[in-house]
Amino acid sequence: MKNPFPKRFFRRQIWIRSIVQIFFFLLIALISINHTLAETGKSIPVLSSASLHALCPFGGVVTIYQYVASGSFVQKIHESSFILMIIGFLLAVLFGPVFCGWVCPFGTIQEWFAKIGRALFGRKRFNLRIPEKFDAVLRYLRYLVLAWVIYMTAASGTLIFANYDPYYALFNFWTGEVAVTGLAVLGITLAASLVIERPWCKYACPYGAVLGIFNLFRVFRIRRVEATCKLDGACDIVCPMNIKVSQKRIVRDHQCISCLECTSEARCPAAGTVEFVAGGK
Amino acid sequence: MKLTSKPLAAILFAILFGGIAFTSAMNWWQTESTKVPEKFQEGEAAGQYNPADIRGSYTFGDINRSFPVPIEVLKTAFGIPAETPGETFAVKDLETLTSAQTSTEAQEIGTTSVRYFVALYCGLPFEVIGDVYLPRPAVEILKESGKLTADQIAYLEAHTVDISDASSRLEQTVDTPETPSGSEQTVEEQTIKGKTTFQELLDWGVNQSRIEAILGGPMPSASTPIREYCAANGLEFSTVKTALQTEIDQLQK
Repeated sequence: MKNPFPKRFFRRQIWIRSIVQIFFFLLIALISINHTLAETGKSIPVLSSASLHALCPFGGVVTIYQYVASGSFVQKIHESSFILMIIGFLLAVLFGPVFCGWVCPFGTIQEWFAKIGRALFGRKRFNLRIPEKFDAVLRYLRYLVLAWVIYMTAASGTLIFANYDPYYALFNFWTGEVAVTGLAVLGITLAASLVIERPWCKYACPYGAVLGIFNLFRVFRIRRVEATCKLDGACDIVCPMNIKVSQKRIVRDHQCISCLECTSEARCPAAGTVEFVAGGK
Repeated sequence: MKLTSKPLAAILFAILFGGIAFTSAMNWWQTESTKVPEKFQEGEAAGQYNPADIRGSYTFGDINRSFPVPIEVLKTAFGIPAETPGETFAVKDLETLTSAQTSTEAQEIGTTSVRYFVALYCGLPFEVIGDVYLPRPAVEILKESGKLTADQIAYLEAHTVDISDASSRLEQTVDTPETPSGSEQTVEEQTIKGKTTFQELLDWGVNQSRIEAILGGPMPSASTPIREYCAANGLEFSTVKTALQTEIDQLQK
C-alpha cells in the first residue's frame, strides 16, 4: 500500500517528550557513572551516587511480597524503590503508563535505535517483521515474565531478574558486575529495535506489564472523536506500540504508553479529534 | 478536561520530583541500606536483632549499634591490628585480611564467623550451616563470657583457627612440593579453599553457567582465585564459597 503521508508528517512529534526523555536518560546515566566513581572515592558532588537498583520502581514491585511477609526489602532494594513504585502507580492511575513513554531510559534508547533502523531500512520495511497473529499473542508474554520474576524473587529473596535485565546491563556494562545473560538480552533488544519499535516494551518488560493494567481504568485517556476523524490512519502509523487507534473510540489497550504521539497535538491532522482527556464519554 | 503535552510534562516532573522531595523531607527516601539487621519474628529472641542478617558491608560500628558487642572486643576477637579504626572496618574486609593466614586450610574467617561470634556473645539463636571457624582470641572471649553450653564449647574447640600457627604453616609450605592439580584431587579433596581457582571448579565438573549464576555476573579468567575475585568485586567469599561448594557436593552425589 502506498504511504499517503509526506516525509514532513513524520517530523511532527511531541518535542517536549523528547526533551524529557533525554533528560532522564542523561540523569540515570550520570548517576550510574557516579555510583561507580563513588566506589573509588571520586564521586561528582551534588549528583546522587545511588545504585541503579535504588532508583528502579520495578524493584519496589518485586519486593512487595517480602515486605508484606517479613517487613524487609529484597537485598539491594531500598525505600527509594518502594517510593518510586508508589509514584509510578499514582502517575499511572492519572495518566496511564506515562513512565514508559516519557521517563524510562530503556524505552528511550529503543526509540533512538528505531530511528536508526528507519534510516537504514526505510520506513516501509520497518516494524513489519512479526506477523500480526503471532504479534497479538506475544504481546501477553510480558505478563509471563512478570509472574516468573515475582515468583523467583519471592522464592529466592534475591534480585534474580538483575541477571537478565537489559536496563541494568545498559547502565552497568562497564562495571564487570553484569551477567552475560543480561548483556545478551541487551544486545538482542537493541538489535531488534532496528527493525521493531520498542520490542522489549511490547513483548518482555515486566514493569510495563504492571503499568499496562492501569490503562483499563486511568483517569486521563486517549479519546478519538469519530465525527471529525478522517480515518486516514495517521494515529496508527505513528504509535510506537502499534496500537490501531483509528479503530477505537477510547484507547484502553494494555500496551498504550501515553506518549501522545497519536493526538491532534502531534500527528493527527484533524484538530480536536484524538485527544488526551479526563471525564466525558 | 483536556491535557496537552506541556502541562503533562510539568505535572510529571512535579509529581516525580515533588514526591522525592517530600519523602526526603520526611526522611523516608533511602537509597542505601540502613545497616540495621532484621529482627527475630518469633521465639524467645523475638524483637531482638538477628545476627544472621549481618551483611558484609556492615562495619564493626554498625554491629555495635545493633548488638551489645564493643568495637574493641570485635577487633580483639578477629585480630584486627590496633592501628585499624574499628568503627569503619567492614566485615567483608575480614576475608581479605585473614586470607593469607588461612589459605592453607578450608578455614574461612569471614562474615559468617562474625555472625556466629555476635550470636554467641549476645546469647542469641544462630543456625550453623556447614563449618564455621573462629580465631582463637574470639573463642577465648566467648569462653570467658561463660554463656556457652558444653556442646558449643566442643564445637568451637574443633573449629578454632590459630592465626599465628596458620601463618607459620603458610611459611613452611613454601618449601614443600605443590599440591597436585585440581583434576588429580580425589572426591574428598574437592573442597573450595582460599587459593581455589575457577579452573579447578570447571575441572571438578561445575558448569560455567552455574558459576556465573552464583557470581551474578560473568566468570573471570579461569586462572583467577575465587577469593581474589570476590575481594575485587565486593562479594562475600564465604557466601560464594558455600553456594559453589553446594554445587560440587551435588555433583559428588
